[in-house]
Amino acid sequence: MATPKPLSRRTTALALAGAGLLAAAGLGAFWFAARTNPPEVVEGEIAVTVTDTVCEPAELTVPAGRTTFRIHNASDRPLEWEILDGVMVVAERENIAPGLNSTLAERLKPGVYDITCGLLSNPRGKLTVLATAESEAAKAAPELRYFIGPLSEYRVYLSRRASELVAATATLSEKIAAGDLEGARAAWAAARQPWRQMAPVSARIGDLANSMDPLADYLAEREEDPAFTGFHRIEYGLWGQNSTEGLAPVAEKLAADAAALKDRLKTLDVAPADLAGNAADLASRVADQATGSQAPYSHLDLAEFSADLDGISKSALLVDPLVREADPAASEALVQALDAARATLDGFKVEGAMPAYDQVDEAGRQRLSEAFAAVAAAAAAYNPAIGLE
Amino acid sequence: MPALLTTRRRLLAGAAALAATPAFAATGQHNVTDAPVADTTSAADLVSPYGRHQAGITTPRPANGMVAAFHVLASDPSALERLFRRLTERIVLLTHGGPLPETDPKLPPPDSGILGPVVQPDALTVTVGLGASLFEDRTWLAPHRPRVLSRMTRFHNDALDADICHGDLVIQFCANTQDTAVHALRDIVKNIPDQLVLKWAQAGNVPVIPARPDAAPESARNLLGFRDGSANPDSEDAALMERVVWIGPGNAEPDWAADGTYMAVRIIRNLVERWDRTPLGEQERIFGRTKMSGAPLDRAEGTEAMVPDYAADPEGEAVPLDSHIRLANPRTPGSEESLMLRRPFNYVNGVLKNGQLDQGLLFIAFQSDLEKAFVAVQRRLDREPLEEYIKPVGGGYFFVLPGFAAGEDFLGSSLIAALSPTSQTSSQSIPGRPVTD
Amino acid sequence: MRFLTLAALGALAFGGQAYAQSEATLDLVGPISEYKLFVAEQVDQLVADTTAFVEAVKAGDVERAKALFAPTRINYEEIEPIAELFSDLDVAIDSRADDYEKAEQDPEFPGFHRIEYGLWEKNSTEGLDPVADKLLADVTDLQGRIEGLTFPPEVVVGGAAVLMEEVAATKISGEEDRYSHTDLWDFRGNFDGSRKIVELVRPLVDDEAFLATVDKNFATVDEILEKYRDGAGYVTYDNLTEEDRVVLAGAVNTLAEDLSTLRGKLGLD
Repeated sequence: MATPKPLSRRTTALALAGAGLLAAAGLGAFWFAARTNPPEVVEGEIAVTVTDTVCEPAELTVPAGRTTFRIHNASDRPLEWEILDGVMVVAERENIAPGLNSTLAERLKPGVYDITCGLLSNPRGKLTVLATAESEAAKAAPELRYFIGPLSEYRVYLSRRASELVAATATLSEKIAAGDLEGARAAWAAARQPWRQMAPVSARIGDLANSMDPLADYLAEREEDPAFTGFHRIEYGLWGQNSTEGLAPVAEKLAADAAALKDRLKTLDVAPADLAGNAADLASRVADQATGSQAPYSHLDLAEFSADLDGISKSALLVDPLVREADPAASEALVQALDAARATLDGFKVEGAMPAYDQVDEAGRQRLSEAFAAVAAAAAAYNPAIGLE
Repeated sequence: MPALLTTRRRLLAGAAALAATPAFAATGQHNVTDAPVADTTSAADLVSPYGRHQAGITTPRPANGMVAAFHVLASDPSALERLFRRLTERIVLLTHGGPLPETDPKLPPPDSGILGPVVQPDALTVTVGLGASLFEDRTWLAPHRPRVLSRMTRFHNDALDADICHGDLVIQFCANTQDTAVHALRDIVKNIPDQLVLKWAQAGNVPVIPARPDAAPESARNLLGFRDGSANPDSEDAALMERVVWIGPGNAEPDWAADGTYMAVRIIRNLVERWDRTPLGEQERIFGRTKMSGAPLDRAEGTEAMVPDYAADPEGEAVPLDSHIRLANPRTPGSEESLMLRRPFNYVNGVLKNGQLDQGLLFIAFQSDLEKAFVAVQRRLDREPLEEYIKPVGGGYFFVLPGFAAGEDFLGSSLIAALSPTSQTSSQSIPGRPVTD
Repeated sequence: MRFLTLAALGALAFGGQAYAQSEATLDLVGPISEYKLFVAEQVDQLVADTTAFVEAVKAGDVERAKALFAPTRINYEEIEPIAELFSDLDVAIDSRADDYEKAEQDPEFPGFHRIEYGLWEKNSTEGLDPVADKLLADVTDLQGRIEGLTFPPEVVVGGAAVLMEEVAATKISGEEDRYSHTDLWDFRGNFDGSRKIVELVRPLVDDEAFLATVDKNFATVDEILEKYRDGAGYVTYDNLTEEDRVVLAGAVNTLAEDLSTLRGKLGLD
């Protein structure tokens, strides 16, 4: 038979009395002057008492995984309790009234975090989360839900690039309609940036890729081929023929295709393995292309490769936080390869501007190709590190 | 319809009498305000929520109590019925206890869990009353207002804080442990958020005394150190309770109100620092009793159970004329009418802004006529010397609903029946929203 | 509806949630990405509005600054689940005097509420120039950080309830905008922010009754707020009647209860 011990309970509560009228919290008139007990720790729960000046204890160590914290506000003000990773709030409980308890359950990764303790000027406590066998195993094969954030972020990236592409192709179309050759050239170069930044996925939308970006080299009749449309047809006119003539319908079609592409991207499913996988594929393609030319008339290849590198970095680095946990060496290798490729590209600059690609010698092209090949190899190690292949 | 309900209630009267637990019943003659005796209570104590009257009124007072007042969101009779049925369901569940269900860890747990995996009955009672504002603000309910249910108005010494006064609906929670009362409040707040909006709550407790097998029951002390409840009417005297507490045919109340009672709640701050600096003799003269034993001052060597003989002390030389007990109950032939059943708890809230202790009495009293009992007594107490040491700051008047039977019955069913179209004389043109004060 | 009977008592248990564990799926990618685009728009607006607000403050134009205060804040309130992830900026932009030892007199007290205090309590912009400059810098910093942030799905989905908790715990009492009493604007922002999240994940919620209750309570909130509309905004909070405050509290508490299950319903914890 359970035997409550009211006397000892009351003694504890009296010792804690000190909440005062500030207990008024919550719904306007809500006035719950509670006498509460300090946290009764249930197994698996971590008790933290916040006084006017500090957290008790001020240093906590817990295993990785889900931890429940029971926070007791022993100060005389309503308080907010936060777990911080740098300046980022990992988890928080707000407005814990004086004298009351609140629980916070959070899944924590190994690492060292700060905890806040009442007033902003109070010293912060430290929360150390230790790796466990389970947390180590989980790193090598993160659950699907950990990819929701990265994939969402990638969809946002694509959506932004698609919007830029729609705007830039519209500008291109306008300049061409106006017969403004220089303006059209600038607009073409501007439109190529978002297009190439999307390259890790746009190639997968076959019909639009074929109408927006075919190279004459791959068509039976080359420049004379009726299927020679899109960006390179316009490039051929603007640089190869120094004219906007006959380009207006091509530019209009390109702008319409860009709008269609934007719609398609909204529903395009990118799988977790695509983030690093597409990046590796594209890097590998660029490594091949660098020895030839992707912009045969304008020779703006270096700007194109730079945009490719943007897209590759964005895509692959979205899973980097997961890879960094599982295989720090693989993460380090990709970051270095990306930096090296960027440095290689920047190394071609003359007075701050990228030269035309026909000014880049064979050795330079080879260097660039190798830099992208290194990116491809490093990115290819990502999926295996996080159990995606 | 009312006749039917009444008949059924009569059948239930016997069951209600049996509601007290063995722990309470075994120790002989008791009053509600007797101090709880240590080690005689158990988490398994079960007070049946069913009966002609609600539990928690004549039920012996356990160590912990809490009063919570709510705003009610119910703009028509069916919404009110829905609220009453939901409350009934929670009350039956909470007072019986039971195991918590397994919970999906991804969802918030449906129960606060503060009592662990199995909720114990722990002598929990949940007693529901209605405030005047509930009736006043709803034209369809206004005609059914209990005769003397009013909004508590200021007495001489009051310093009422609007934030802790009144309410459309009040719930008194009593239990062996405070955790059980808190659990019940949180359960109701969580489960009925769309119809009950919490306005204020005040928890309190009663000092527990050690078990002494051969001693007479003692009244518990208040935070001024005096015994509180010494002259309380005997709650085991059913006939007395019918007269003092329960609404019956003689009270000229609406039919639906039969077996209910009026509840006065007062949050009375005690200025304890000042009190503790007051000479003992003065403290005793202010109350009219000796501090340690509780005996009336004209029988200073006696016990608290002794009745003062005011006829022998017309000048108040032993028990001053303006002492608390003499003003509250002058024991004159007429004063019999102002009897009420007190069921107070002490509260300790912490510290006020001025650095003084925020402690006092959560005064609760039940009576069949609020005007003749609490209000009359309080008017007599106006300007008593004790006022220098106490400050009523909150509370309210409520009408406690009749009890309910197990099965299909529910709390407030008689009021809902009175509201039903067949018995409703007013038109159906019920406005969508009530008007507020 | 079935109510309790003695026979049913044995079967009746605490709580009504079914034990239906589900796992988060990639179907959330659409809503989460849409939400980021939404937040980005709001923060762009916030930067633009703060720029104008700060200009008014620095020009010493108290009346104009007062007029711009509430409409500027509303975008912050709308995106609070994300904005408050950056603890340093949240403190710099939106902390209240209570967070400081010397309250309003504390030299550390920054941001919107510091300016609010000056404008309404002192009816002056004196000494606010550096506070205003810092506010704009912080809001601009926030814009950049949000752009670079991969939105955690549980924060986004949980944000719907967080916003309601925020209203229930600190707003309905009128203590947020305690000097200007422009709380109803903040409510609008919090409700719209919460509703946006519900709208985005709606296709993934397989519980019609739940959605119907949530919709009904949002509609109640709209109805109440509409009564207090004043031009493009709202009258001050002290105009809210006790009755409407109670109705609002009932809706907010119910939304907070219901939406607290949203994360779990979508398999996020």
